Amino acid sequence: MKIRKTSLLFFLGPALFVVALFYIIPLFLSVYISFTPMVDWNVNRYLTQFVGLQNYERLFHIVMYDPDMRAVIMTTVVFVLVTLVINVFGGLLLALATYFMDEKMSAAYQGLWLLPRMTPIAVYSLLWYYFFHSSGIGVLNSILLKLHLINHPIALGLDPKYLPWGAWFIIIFVNGLVGVSYGMIIFYSAFKSIPRELIIAARVDGASTTRIIRHILLPLTKWHFTFVTVWQMFSLLMTYAQTFLLVEWRVVDSTWGQTWALYVFRTAFTTTKDQGLAAAASTFLSIIGIILGIIALKALGYEKMILEPKGDI
Amino acid sequence: MASKGWAIAAAIIIIIIIIGVVAYYMSTRPGPVTTTTSTSSPTTSSTSTTSSSSSPSPTTSAAPSKPVLTGNFEKDVIAIGKYLESKGIHTVKFTVWATGDPNSVMRMYGLYEAAYRINKIWEENGINVKIVMSKFWESSFKKLYDEFLSAVPQGTNGDFFVNSYIYIANLASQGYILDINSYVEKYWNSVFKDFYTPLMEAAKYKGHYYAVPQDTEARPIYVRKDVAACMGWDISNLAQLVKEGKFTWHDMYKKAEEAVSKGCAKWGLIHRKGSAHPDLVQFIFAYGGKLYDPNTGKLVFDVPAIYKWFATEYAFAQHKLLPKDMMSWDWAQQIHPTVVNNCKGSPTGCTLFFIGGTWHWTEWQTKAYYYDPSTGKRRPLTPEEEVKKFYYMLFPAGDSGDKPVTLSQPFMWMIAENAGKDNPNYDQLKDVYHELAFLMIVKASDPEINAIHSVISGHVPVRKAAAALLKNETWINDLINMKINLSPEVKKAIEPIVKKTASKINIEFLANVSYMLDYTHLAPSHPQYPKLAGYFADAINKVLMGSMTPKDAVNYLIQKIKADPDLSKAVEIVGSIPTNWSFP
Repeated sequence: MKIRKTSLLFFLGPALFVVALFYIIPLFLSVYISFTPMVDWNVNRYLTQFVGLQNYERLFHIVMYDPDMRAVIMTTVVFVLVTLVINVFGGLLLALATYFMDEKMSAAYQGLWLLPRMTPIAVYSLLWYYFFHSSGIGVLNSILLKLHLINHPIALGLDPKYLPWGAWFIIIFVNGLVGVSYGMIIFYSAFKSIPRELIIAARVDGASTTRIIRHILLPLTKWHFTFVTVWQMFSLLMTYAQTFLLVEWRVVDSTWGQTWALYVFRTAFTTTKDQGLAAAASTFLSIIGIILGIIALKALGYEKMILEPKGDI
Repeated sequence: MASKGWAIAAAIIIIIIIIGVVAYYMSTRPGPVTTTTSTSSPTTSSTSTTSSSSSPSPTTSAAPSKPVLTGNFEKDVIAIGKYLESKGIHTVKFTVWATGDPNSVMRMYGLYEAAYRINKIWEENGINVKIVMSKFWESSFKKLYDEFLSAVPQGTNGDFFVNSYIYIANLASQGYILDINSYVEKYWNSVFKDFYTPLMEAAKYKGHYYAVPQDTEARPIYVRKDVAACMGWDISNLAQLVKEGKFTWHDMYKKAEEAVSKGCAKWGLIHRKGSAHPDLVQFIFAYGGKLYDPNTGKLVFDVPAIYKWFATEYAFAQHKLLPKDMMSWDWAQQIHPTVVNNCKGSPTGCTLFFIGGTWHWTEWQTKAYYYDPSTGKRRPLTPEEEVKKFYYMLFPAGDSGDKPVTLSQPFMWMIAENAGKDNPNYDQLKDVYHELAFLMIVKASDPEINAIHSVISGHVPVRKAAAALLKNETWINDLINMKINLSPEVKKAIEPIVKKTASKINIEFLANVSYMLDYTHLAPSHPQYPKLAGYFADAINKVLMGSMTPKDAVNYLIQKIKADPDLSKAVEIVGSIPTNWSFP
């Protein structure tokens, strides 16, 4: 038993150390900063000053009275829900498509979908900046103008005629295109790990592709489905990089393109540089994330999946 | 179960150890003033003029006493040099962080030149100490400010920070820049008395000097002469009419409408993108409003003036005289090309008016925004072409009875509170490094350096002696022929810009716009102003896009101010939306 405990510590130690250093401590620090009056990164002046719940009171006041906050909350809900569906089901569809393809073709196709993930965020965002740009220099506008589908360039992410859906469409599209490849890789690997004999046997018995998907591939990858859903949900709740650049470059409306995570980032780094307030908003987001994570795990039957097998192995 | 317990226990122990290490580090960590981290990010480039070792070495002669500034530049420089040498310091490293348009490089090289001149004094006096400079340039002044804010606590900031005066209040209140009041007092008679008083006032926070003016400018409205000619509009006396308040924004609208309806220009008006400060807040002053009340020390949200500003831009945008998406235009791809070129297939300019700045005059001569139809290639304009294309005037009064305005955003030399941090024995010698940094600013403010900056960047001098040089024919010819006595490094760096911009036309332009400073306003140097200006930018974008009416936008801003406890304490909301006023 003693050897088992030592081995556990030995093998788990490094991973626990990394998790603690890069995840747990920043979380504690963020919560701690939310109780300080930190602004303008003045760590030396404010780190040891304690203001109790003042930042949370200010946050509550802002949520109640700031005319943009309703839009921030709505944008967060729509963005996370729609992009999550696209990322999970889009990833699943791509994985299924590539699973049934020829190996070489499958690799090339997956490589293509991985391009947005491999491109640096700034370059990727710049690409979409020029694509969705509201004037004639925008690729989308110039295509639509050439096809005579529009007479004047349209500002999809800015024009009140298209808001909020225009802004939401752009941020969901840009983020969805990056996120979908993650699901694709996980699901594809999961399908590949299913013993080939099962598929061959099903084929011999005359099962169609749809039946193979419904009765073999999907049931055997439930665990992966849960993982991708929960992981992507957390990612989407916290993501802001591409959206930030599109809002900053004014391709997307600053009100309807701002998620809660982006609000946290802008408050800490660009607009007010109020790190105390941003930390309070971030803590709130973490709490929401934890609650949603627990709900998602329950809904997807996580507990059942981790039950120990009833029979002997 | 037991293994689960062990794993949790192990995790807790690891977390406690890490927290302990972090806590120990935090408790023993020196403040930013004592940090000696070198500036590695953002990357800096440094000169290679160092010839001596930077490691302290024992000294044999009797150590001179710690220098105190006297107001005599050479004496102070020698005293500091001798003192540093006696402490074994042979190299002093400084980094300058500067920002601006592509021609404003003297914001960095002014200090390089100062270092060169101080090194020369030391060399002539047999003092074995040298200043080695590094630089970091960022084109966006706001971005540089953001980077500076986050760099100071880490000690990775530049020693000199050259940026807009609007940041002085916040940087001073956070203790990020040096209070140089006592130094300025020492050099008042010999140097700073010659500076224009309003600019020196702008360098203050709570009555103390925290900066030294580096340049200032006016924001003229440029008028395309060819568009005006196409309309049959004689603009020869326009600047005078604007000056007298006889040509207002209502007239601007009518003329813009006429230019577009007659097919002489695609747009009536073009202005900056991105932010409302500084160009667009001119509307507040033009409509007789104010942004700051010196009696209360509070920012002012002047409802009537702000409503009129929004209503003016709303009318322009709704009637397609100003692009609705103006705030998201690209400077290099759209704004400048629209201003300097003709629209496709048109013999005349693309816009009648442009709310610009004096520095654009030289920027158009160095950046290839102009599409030359004879070669089919882009190239900069020549000074002669600019004179042919552009007329310039003050920002007109809003309504009849109001006054024309311009807005200046003086740039300042600031010294970081931890200046000199990358040098040996910083804790003991920091006062000396601070004094040396100040003396470098004194030298960088030499009339000649300031005048060169003005000519090549289209900015207005900050001191009378520099302005006088711009009227000195011999000096002008020396500059044009690059016979000015400068360090080889600075000469090499500015030569290409001087070649393109040092012309009598440009110097005449500076002389012609200098009267505008009599009408100038300064945006408030208040810690909460940048936040308010950010909200202005969001609001005007919504107004231009038509997602808010001017009235909605004013109410939106009032709600934003009230929703923010800090801002609501700092801002006084005055007046109400005018009922018997309309635009145009």
